[in-house]
Amino acid sequence: MMPINYNTGIINEHLHVRKSVGLFDVSHMGQILIPKTKQNIFSLEKFIPLALENLKLGNSYYSFILNENGGIIDDIIISLMNINNQESYYIVYNSSRKNIDEKIFKSILVNYSILENNSLIAIQGPFSKEALNFLKIDYPSSFMKNISVKFYNEIILISRTGYTGEDGFEISIPNSIIEKFINDLIKFENIKLCGLGSRDSLRLEAGLSLYGNDLNEEITPIEAKFKWAIDKDRLLNSSLNGYQILNSQINDGVKKIKVGLKVLSNSIIRSKMKLFDLQDNEIGFITSGGFSPSLKVSIGIGYINNDYRYDKVKSIIRKSMENISVVNLPFIPHKYKRGD
Amino acid sequence: MNKKYTKEHEWVEVVNDIATVGITNHAQESLGDIVFVELPEIGKSVKSGNEISVIESVKAASDIYSPIDGEIIEINNDLTKDASVINQDAENEGWIFKLKISDSSQINSLMSLEEYNDFLKNE
Repeated sequence: MMPINYNTGIINEHLHVRKSVGLFDVSHMGQILIPKTKQNIFSLEKFIPLALENLKLGNSYYSFILNENGGIIDDIIISLMNINNQESYYIVYNSSRKNIDEKIFKSILVNYSILENNSLIAIQGPFSKEALNFLKIDYPSSFMKNISVKFYNEIILISRTGYTGEDGFEISIPNSIIEKFINDLIKFENIKLCGLGSRDSLRLEAGLSLYGNDLNEEITPIEAKFKWAIDKDRLLNSSLNGYQILNSQINDGVKKIKVGLKVLSNSIIRSKMKLFDLQDNEIGFITSGGFSPSLKVSIGIGYINNDYRYDKVKSIIRKSMENISVVNLPFIPHKYKRGD
Repeated sequence: MNKKYTKEHEWVEVVNDIATVGITNHAQESLGDIVFVELPEIGKSVKSGNEISVIESVKAASDIYSPIDGEIIEINNDLTKDASVINQDAENEGWIFKLKISDSSQINSLMSLEEYNDFLKNE
């Protein structure tokens, strides 16, 4: 299991990733390979709001597993990869949702393989590609691309993705060679082991949602501002779970909407705190909150009534009402390696 | 010099009728990176057990209690600029406030270093 932090603390790890490169063991996450067949596409498209037939080989996509009301069962990265001359969807899903996701996969798919014997590591930060150069491993050319390569004679899956807002890679590696891989990698002197604490503060600064905090089955991708991640044609298609609700939310608006929150005083907002308007009426709630090591103030993500138009809200932080600015996400600009 | 300890993981150093108070090294380790400290007001009269200060770490907010009765006479303003001083040196440079003691008999109810170490083992 990944610890909250290693010996130098959360803030040091966080700042190291922003200026150099960090290594995260995220093997707790779920990984599945699903052959691209007509039947699997048909089954998956009930839950996933993408036109799976049209995904480009070597590309990765942010998406969701949706329930019948369009609520988010899980948020996922789905990639189309060519592995052993077979085009397959490779899906990475949240560890907290493993049981639920896998129950769905097992009930709808005819052939698939859950990668229980693969570790998953994330290499994140501006020197990520130097780390892979050091290992003499090929890597995808830009953000949201993927390739599979051989390392110690085993197939490893590399996608140029991550959860920090920095350039970086997520790499699926068979357990048989994971020790060799890590031992080789940590000889690269700039790399530093990072834990769950900095993973959380980095993703929060990057405005990225955390399942269980910012996303759940009561929240749709429209409310979470992920309309861009839904394929428009799939919304016309009754085979997608909750398509009518999603359509009406797009056309008529949503009741609550995800926002960024920034505290200007020396107080820290935390998840589950309530949000109030300036007349003390409850208008929302905080789903993620913490300290931003880059901005040196507290930031968060929350949901507020969509008809609220003012850019200030309030919350009770340790018995006193504090003003909070409503801001756009992300808090720190993304530094992904964009394609040409 | 005689340092005493509380169950709330604070240390108290008494010189004459002045007590200097901070959190223990054990406390700073379990709090993790400390980012803000809300200091008490100078001149405020406090009772033992009153919440008088708050430490915000990356993990959580923690109340600081007054270990004894007294009046706040000095606060460590360096912590406003850089609260991580507590992480670096909790039991010296990272002191939080000084109290003028009103009832010195209360000192005797606090733990010695040996008692505090036993308390940590059983916690």
